[in-house]
Amino acid sequence: MRLLIDLAIAIAVAALVGFGSAVLVLDRDSLFGAVSRGPWTAWPDSGSPDADPYSKAILARSGEVPLGAGEGIAFLADHDSTGSRLSGRCTYEVTGQTPPARLWTLTVYDGDGQLMRNPIGRTEFASREILRREDGSFAITLSPDVVPGNWLPVDRDANLRLVLRLYDTPLTSSGVGDAVLPAIMRGSCR
Amino acid sequence: MIRTLLYVLGGIFLGGIIHIAVVLLIPDFANRDAWTSMGRFGPDGAFHILPMSEPGTEPLPYLDPRLAHAACRFSLDDGPIRIKAAMPDEFWSLAVFDRRGSNVYSLNDRTAERTDIDLVLATSLQLTKLRENPVEALDQSIVIEIPATRGFVLIRAFVTDSADTNRVNTALKAAQCSAPLETAPAPPQPAQP
Repeated sequence: MRLLIDLAIAIAVAALVGFGSAVLVLDRDSLFGAVSRGPWTAWPDSGSPDADPYSKAILARSGEVPLGAGEGIAFLADHDSTGSRLSGRCTYEVTGQTPPARLWTLTVYDGDGQLMRNPIGRTEFASREILRREDGSFAITLSPDVVPGNWLPVDRDANLRLVLRLYDTPLTSSGVGDAVLPAIMRGSCR
Repeated sequence: MIRTLLYVLGGIFLGGIIHIAVVLLIPDFANRDAWTSMGRFGPDGAFHILPMSEPGTEPLPYLDPRLAHAACRFSLDDGPIRIKAAMPDEFWSLAVFDRRGSNVYSLNDRTAERTDIDLVLATSLQLTKLRENPVEALDQSIVIEIPATRGFVLIRAFVTDSADTNRVNTALKAAQCSAPLETAPAPPQPAQP
């Protein structure tokens, strides 16, 4: 009897530790292979055959199709340049320069990774269509309220996730290195 | 008491093994992975245009809403396959993934140095056979060795504005995922052993 109880305890502990820890790790962004520059993080190895087993498992669970090295690289941001969580209650300005790329797009998602719902149906800007300053720099404003210029509307009640996708960029072959990515500056909140 | 503690320790150790097994096996058993999801869009062996991503209706997670996508699930069981497409004169890229979602090949319009896609996907065995009996029609094709027999191809094409959607979709609709390997009279296929 004693043996049976001990065995049952051992099996319960094994299942809890084994499955519990797997779920805990796989429900997050991959810890391995992340490259961060300011508020932006990319996983250049994601989807490659060299990726670590955790990244592969996370990818299989999410159903994402990552960009191949010959296509481009995606940077993701959940926080602004000071490290605060991006929230729809605030106004943000994504400003500065982007690394060399033939084409880039900036897309806004909610905290669950769904495209941001908004009344005018605009969820992204492409590099070709934004208004730029005379020196080539730009500013894209995320705000729940209408603003002039490059306005990306967001839902006041949502957390935000920004994805900057660089297509046909030397970053995929030479590495991210000291690439300079745009800053995410917080404006007023309410 | 000490004996129970030993069993708990054993349980933790076993849990570690379960953890490793789960992580390693998930890519083979996941039912929401990219390959499985793509089965929704139509039969294998042909390109299917994915609906453009809109808030609330995204065909696959984290696809760029500014790009049009066409996907094809393929199998190399019946021989090499040839992918042909005439692409618009704008940014496009193509990536080949194996069944487990690993990217085995990718290129874009600039690295391809031409506006049409002409790829041959083959396993290493099929590739050896192709080298022994070269097919003239494949002179200009990019031949890629695939370390798996099943996988999928995703073409991404930039849509400059909404008026451009039709042009891009027409090109993607005409993309072939199982084009004939040769147009000229074929030498008899070697019998399968």
